[in-house]
Amino acid sequence: MKKYTPASTITTLVLSLVAIFYLYPLFLVVINSFKTFSEITSNVLALPTSLVLENFSNAFRIMNYPQYFLNTLLATAVGVSGVVLVSSMAGYKLSRTKTRYSFVMFMVLIAPMMIPFHSFMISLVKVAKELHLIGSPLGLGVLYWGLGASLALFMYHGAVKSVPQELDDCALIDGAGPLRAFFQIIFPLLQPVTVSVIVINTMWMWNDFLLPLLVLSGSKKSLTLQLAAYNFFGLYKVDWNFAMAGVLLTILPAVIFYLSLQRYIIKGMVAGAVKT
Amino acid sequence: MESMTPLKRKQWDRALTFALFTLPALAAILISVEIPFLMSVFSSFTKWNGLDKAQTFIGLENYKELFLDDLDMWKAFGFTLRLTLGSVIVVNLCALLLAVLLDSDIRGKNALRAAFYVPNIVSLIIIGYIWRFIFSAGFESFFQASGLDFFMLSWLGDVNLVYFSVLMVSVWHSLGFYLVIYIAGLQTVPRDLIEASMIDGAGRLVRFFRITLPLIMSSITVSVFHSLSNGLKAFDVIFSLTNGGPGNSTTTIALDIYRTAFVINRFGYGTAKSVVLFLMILILSIFQVRLFKSREVEV
Amino acid sequence: MKKMLFVVLAVLLAFGPLFAAGQQEQKAGPVTLNVLFYSPELAEQYNDMVAAYKAETGVTLDITVLQTDYRSVLTSRLNSGDVPDIFMSSAYADNSTYKDYVYDLTNEDFIKKIEPSALQGVTVDGKILGYPFLVQSHSFIYNKKVFADNGITTLPKTLADFEAVSKKLQANGVQPFATGFKEFWVLPQTAWQAIANVPAENYGGYENFVAKLNAGELKFKDIPQMSQLFDLLDLIKTYGGPKPNESDFNDQTSSLATGKVAMIHQGNWAEDSIRKTNPEVQIGFLVGPTGNTAATAGIMFDSNQTIRIAKDSKNLDAALAWLRWLTTSEYGRNWIPGKVKQLSPIIGAAAPDSQIAKETSALLASGTPGYPWFYQMFPTGTEQQLGAILQGYCAGITNRAQTLDALDSAYAKIAKAAQ
Repeated sequence: MKKYTPASTITTLVLSLVAIFYLYPLFLVVINSFKTFSEITSNVLALPTSLVLENFSNAFRIMNYPQYFLNTLLATAVGVSGVVLVSSMAGYKLSRTKTRYSFVMFMVLIAPMMIPFHSFMISLVKVAKELHLIGSPLGLGVLYWGLGASLALFMYHGAVKSVPQELDDCALIDGAGPLRAFFQIIFPLLQPVTVSVIVINTMWMWNDFLLPLLVLSGSKKSLTLQLAAYNFFGLYKVDWNFAMAGVLLTILPAVIFYLSLQRYIIKGMVAGAVKT
Repeated sequence: MESMTPLKRKQWDRALTFALFTLPALAAILISVEIPFLMSVFSSFTKWNGLDKAQTFIGLENYKELFLDDLDMWKAFGFTLRLTLGSVIVVNLCALLLAVLLDSDIRGKNALRAAFYVPNIVSLIIIGYIWRFIFSAGFESFFQASGLDFFMLSWLGDVNLVYFSVLMVSVWHSLGFYLVIYIAGLQTVPRDLIEASMIDGAGRLVRFFRITLPLIMSSITVSVFHSLSNGLKAFDVIFSLTNGGPGNSTTTIALDIYRTAFVINRFGYGTAKSVVLFLMILILSIFQVRLFKSREVEV
Repeated sequence: MKKMLFVVLAVLLAFGPLFAAGQQEQKAGPVTLNVLFYSPELAEQYNDMVAAYKAETGVTLDITVLQTDYRSVLTSRLNSGDVPDIFMSSAYADNSTYKDYVYDLTNEDFIKKIEPSALQGVTVDGKILGYPFLVQSHSFIYNKKVFADNGITTLPKTLADFEAVSKKLQANGVQPFATGFKEFWVLPQTAWQAIANVPAENYGGYENFVAKLNAGELKFKDIPQMSQLFDLLDLIKTYGGPKPNESDFNDQTSSLATGKVAMIHQGNWAEDSIRKTNPEVQIGFLVGPTGNTAATAGIMFDSNQTIRIAKDSKNLDAALAWLRWLTTSEYGRNWIPGKVKQLSPIIGAAAPDSQIAKETSALLASGTPGYPWFYQMFPTGTEQQLGAILQGYCAGITNRAQTLDALDSAYAKIAKAAQ
């Protein structure tokens, strides 16, 4: 099966060393989440003298974790599924259609990536209010579609090029409508990109701060985990012990999600399809 | 419908299918971004503090001031360009290299991929705090342990060094993101092409430059485009690490816009600046995308 | 073909229920007041007060507490019509910023129970547009033990005094100051204190001073006393350790608490962080030097943090009832001195258990000048902009002449835009 050459073992070792240094700042978050407030302020770098688990239970309680976890999950799930759906379809179609209109539309659809959020965020809140998307995680998720679609579309647009055009025609000849043809034949072949789109969008939506702050801050029960964790960071006083614990509690689901998704990027899927 | 010629019917069908596939994305993007942005653009022709119920129309005054009388903004733009250039080059080279290594047959791939990705999961506010700790208290301890002068330099307080600190933190945070894109791209390269070239006797480097690279050009286009836009929009890293300081030496244009709109309450003027920023990004990006897309190869 | 149309319709219809789901209007019931505040360091105290108010009246205060993003969120909410019933802001210049949104409190009964001196920051043309939340003071905070251990018995008042004290500390291996220069807001509060006596003495009072600056008749470079402002910044920087431009609020409070440094420029709000780091610490208040004249050296004492009621609030009466309770009820009157541990603007309020607050009262009682925070009268936005320019001076980016020019041009621009 797999042969691990000596060169590859060395590569692994070197990269592991790099990774350890790379993760040092996060290591600091972890060790500080187990310290008391004064331990942290006196020496950030020291290892904790004892494991203060109360930081986590307190943060969990103060952050209203279960409710906000569900809110964040809802917003993220709705957001990600919407993005994958609309972007895969549009990216595919625009990539296959090689007219000038297609290029113009492509640019119009990826233009948002170039617009700084602060410049339209206030108007976005106004629009969101008109459409009754304010104050609920569901509404937030819907707003995320337009915000995440551009990059995802860009990625699908490029990835479609590695799927041979013959497949499009094959599927249609079999009598399927264009939508079914796309979702049954082409879409599965784009799995690596889909997984990447899911990962990327899940991560930024899970960790998003500013938009939830603007549309959810009027409704206490709808807040997300990031908003709750942020409350530990004041201008004058940072509750470091809770803040670090809160940060870990917030990113842990995201890390677990990422690790579990890694296994689904299966190599060779494309090769298999082409061989038919 | 029956009165159409077969050709017209086909064109109509094609147009309808095109609409079906693209309209949902268009609707979402219009609602979440483009319509709000156009609403803001209207504000750029007014003198408005963002709060008063009345907006005073002043035509192109804001744009005049921006081009003729705002040295701070152009200084910020210059810094932003320098930072973007550095980050685009460094992050794409590192991410690509790392992706190639992490896509090859080595042990512990998954763990390593996760390791390099995790910093991207943590929000930049926290990243800023942590790195501030490291630069101040951390470096002090490292200095005491090692005696290297390197650690006693003022990495966030010295105007000449702060560029590198900001660049490093920015790359550290975003590397994982582009790693994901490049790994996905590498995995869409059909294995049989690689195998065929190996049979033909092509060496590693040749395989990479002749086969892999052209086929992942689309990933490179996406990544360069995204890192370029993100670099020009850089806000969070700066805000949490240096807040534009010392003085205004690390103020990026996005931070300048934020301050103009929300701190000084010159909302109309701030929006004008962001329109100009958008146009600058647009021009650079069209150029970049055209250039890279022409190199993309289809199977 | 028909199939496609069906699919399109289905997709569009799918949007419908989603929109409806987002439309969750609040059910009618007991009143909930929507509040937007900053100062997250007071989160516990806010929660305590909310619980007490709910127990007494059944009204819920739903408080969202922010800090760095506070202004942008408030602006966007006011704009979109999602107006909070109660919010917070600075005094002085912010009166005009929010003028289209605030309720006039002049004729409310409970306003008469507030110290008139605390009301001056929120009064415009005889109308009282806000409710003073806290009375605060800032100046130099010093660690009493560090001073004692290093044989410093007379407290410094002039620049020369401060320099002598710093030299002595440095000679003994103690870092005299933690500068706080990384925070843009520490610089204005430190610097403007150095000329706090000037507007009253030379320019006919603070309002005239600011009016002249706004009109462009007066420029910072024409004020000779600016040199004592720069002298002070130079002094703090010289004796501020090896990385003076990297010191932030956290560095200041923890260094002072542990005795690593002797002095910081901060306000009474810092006490909580200092004592949390080291509960045994003894801290005191020093005056801020105004050049080399001891008599005019004072502390900055004012009510700047202001509570405002939204004029368009749907729960206006409930909001006013809350303010009334805060001013007159047993819990309310004791909340700021007892729980928040800062000085209260209410007439006859108790003194808080805070070392700095005690020192503040003692200094004022002994005749030390307590200057208003006149720099809050500068147009909104100057604090950050001028602070950044001063920060640039401390980082060596501009020299004194260039800094003065930069201050003048930034001020002029903001003043012009504010008209």
